[in-house]
Amino acid sequence: MQYSTILRYLFLGVFNGFVVYLVPLTIAFESWFLLIITIIITLLVNLTYATNRLKPLKWITPGMIFLLSFVVFPAAYSFYVSFTNWSTGHILTKQQAIERLEDLTYTKDDQRGVEFDLYVLQDQNLEYYFLADLDNENLLFGKAVQENEFNAIDFANHEPSFKNSDGEILIPDNLYLLSGREQIANSSQLQELSLLVNKNTRIQLYNISVFGASSGRLLSAQQKYSYIAETDTLYDNVNDSACTLGNRGNFICNGQTIDPGWRINVGTENYQRIADDERFRGPLRIVTLWTFQFAFFAVFLTFFVGLLLSVSLNKDKLKFQKIYRSIYILPYAIPGFISILVFKGLLNPDFGLVNDWFGPLYELFNIEPINWFRTKESSRAAVLLVNTWLGFPYMFLITTGALQSIPNELLEAAKVDGATPRQSFWRITFPLLLVAISPLLIGAFAFNFNNFTLIFLLTSGGPPIVGADVAVGYTDILISFTYDLAIAGGRGYQFGLAASVTTIIFLIVLFISAVSFRYSKRLERVYGNL
Amino acid sequence: MVIYKFMKWFREFGWRHLIGLIFAIISLYPILYVVTNSFADFANLSNSKLIPDGFTTKHYQSLTGDPLIPYYKWLFNTYKIAGIAGFLNVLLGTFAAFAFARLKFKGRRVGLITLVLVQMFPSFLAFVAIYLLFFQIGDVAPFIGLGTHIGLIFVYLGGSIGFNSWLIKGFMDTIPTSLDEAAKVDGATDFQIFYKIIAPLSRPIIVVLFVITFIGIYSDYILAAIFLKDANLYTVALGINIVFMDDFSNEWGSIAAASVIAATPIAVLFLFFQKQITGGLTAGSIKG
Repeated sequence: MQYSTILRYLFLGVFNGFVVYLVPLTIAFESWFLLIITIIITLLVNLTYATNRLKPLKWITPGMIFLLSFVVFPAAYSFYVSFTNWSTGHILTKQQAIERLEDLTYTKDDQRGVEFDLYVLQDQNLEYYFLADLDNENLLFGKAVQENEFNAIDFANHEPSFKNSDGEILIPDNLYLLSGREQIANSSQLQELSLLVNKNTRIQLYNISVFGASSGRLLSAQQKYSYIAETDTLYDNVNDSACTLGNRGNFICNGQTIDPGWRINVGTENYQRIADDERFRGPLRIVTLWTFQFAFFAVFLTFFVGLLLSVSLNKDKLKFQKIYRSIYILPYAIPGFISILVFKGLLNPDFGLVNDWFGPLYELFNIEPINWFRTKESSRAAVLLVNTWLGFPYMFLITTGALQSIPNELLEAAKVDGATPRQSFWRITFPLLLVAISPLLIGAFAFNFNNFTLIFLLTSGGPPIVGADVAVGYTDILISFTYDLAIAGGRGYQFGLAASVTTIIFLIVLFISAVSFRYSKRLERVYGNL
Repeated sequence: MVIYKFMKWFREFGWRHLIGLIFAIISLYPILYVVTNSFADFANLSNSKLIPDGFTTKHYQSLTGDPLIPYYKWLFNTYKIAGIAGFLNVLLGTFAAFAFARLKFKGRRVGLITLVLVQMFPSFLAFVAIYLLFFQIGDVAPFIGLGTHIGLIFVYLGGSIGFNSWLIKGFMDTIPTSLDEAAKVDGATDFQIFYKIIAPLSRPIIVVLFVITFIGIYSDYILAAIFLKDANLYTVALGINIVFMDDFSNEWGSIAAASVIAATPIAVLFLFFQKQITGGLTAGSIKG
């Protein structure tokens, strides 16, 4: 056997071993989509590398795995999620939600209701310990902890050595017994503490006594809900009543929806909300319109400035051309997020650089300095202003390239025919330039259509649209709006709804791409000979 | 006469210099402002100005030592993630490109077109699904789930591999096939042809695509933001925005210093490869 063959089978063995480890886990967590991805990729890998027959695939498969897993599948998954109510309160699967509900407990006084002596102790680190004298078989001692530490601490131990044969309590040297007065002084803290007896039972300080020992009491935690598999319902142990199955992926007990629920398929509900719910549809309309406006003006302004500069500098014998060019590239060379964050500071109304610049203008027209991020118009202007600074170098570079590729004979011929410079620019240079770079302009439009970083870092979408049902602002574009909906809007996670907006974005990008494809095809036919 | 001469000069050259100068100032001013501010001795944004009163390196010093602001850790994380993802990206992309450029097989054309079509949708568009997917992967295989660099690197890998394969393939097409045919006659295997001939000759495009991919990942915000929640794992973009921008007026000096450190190597890298990058850009890709 060849060396490479052994290596191949070794790789396949490790890979399949990993899959064998993963599959039961995906089933256990009910991650069906993950299971499907795993199976498809496993088939692909085995098909490719088990035999020597599919040579091209061997080269393509590694890259294809990542392209499939993290670009193609997420797109499909996004579509699936848009038909669910996956959101805060409906994050889990049904099985997980039931497990979570069955773990919930409520505390009631123990049936025995017995009070017993409880001693409060402290060690050198001022940590509290409880010693509970229940009866001779149960002299329980352990660290007293707050509720959030219950899982981190061991249960109390029976410590007969803390009592001598006469029934008197003996305190070890390293511990200090708090007096009644000291307990009263710290009572608010002490009342929060518990000594854990077992999983469901704990001991709390009940009554502090200034004379003699304080008393404690047993509390036991009971399971709050039990799941009844036969009827697929929940039983409420607190109120001794049966719950019903709600229709939105949850149980309803005594007329109240129980949290957590689970995610279910809700059909086209999210899309209906987009179409019908005015409190959602209204803001979405504003956002969609602005997304198109922003992308259009972003391209227009950067193109305008870029073209202005390239036309100005495209002149023989013009001095300093190289210096100008290398300066214009600088804004483009700096990572976008840095420039955006810096501009956020510079646009600060009170002491930002931009308002310093505009200072003379403000005085001339006797107007208040602009608070850039407060109103709809000014924040939109700020977004476009910053984007122009960021984007004009790109347009400058590509228009310069296109200008230089226009054959000189054409312009000279026009000159001979008596065309003015203006005529030859608008009739010859500009149309040819547009043809050459229109695919790039469409690309820039698509890029700005989803320019999340600019919007999110500069304005976070603000200022907010008042009266909207969701967190959304006047400079939000579709992708940043989706981000707020899904993750960062502060109104919980709304994955299902966000995914349905994602579908809209996908459709628009598809449309832009199709236009670009057809357009460049047509141009190729028309201007193919140039 | 002098005025006439000046008018003539202005009509031909002067207005070009005027426009050129205005935009040179607009381009440079914010950059210079940040650089001088990073060395300036001031309390906050309100008394910052272009030419600072005093010189100090205190803003740079403020970036080290504070465990709540692990700036250099962010920088390291970013270089690590962008470096690994960029490297694997062009490596796997070169493999795929080789198959498309040199091996004949059924579905080759369809495969190529699919690559371009898929890559028309930036991978971050489906970030909701990516988030949920990795949320579940985290249950099954915690070392790849949300909050890990590995998971993030995987997502970046998918993000531009199709496009890179396409561009590398285009470059490989320009390498004469007579070279590998000669090698084949001498008994070279596909792998040897790839390793000894095609890959070395494709190095220019591979290097440029690595740089473009690296800068793109370096500048990404949205995917890093959905993945990383622990301040020690942040990338530079996340760190500066989340930790500093809360109080950006008072932190202005630190922001300026952090920006200079984060931007300078990338700007130098970009300027160094400027010609090739803009060549690649006009082929259709756009820097993030």
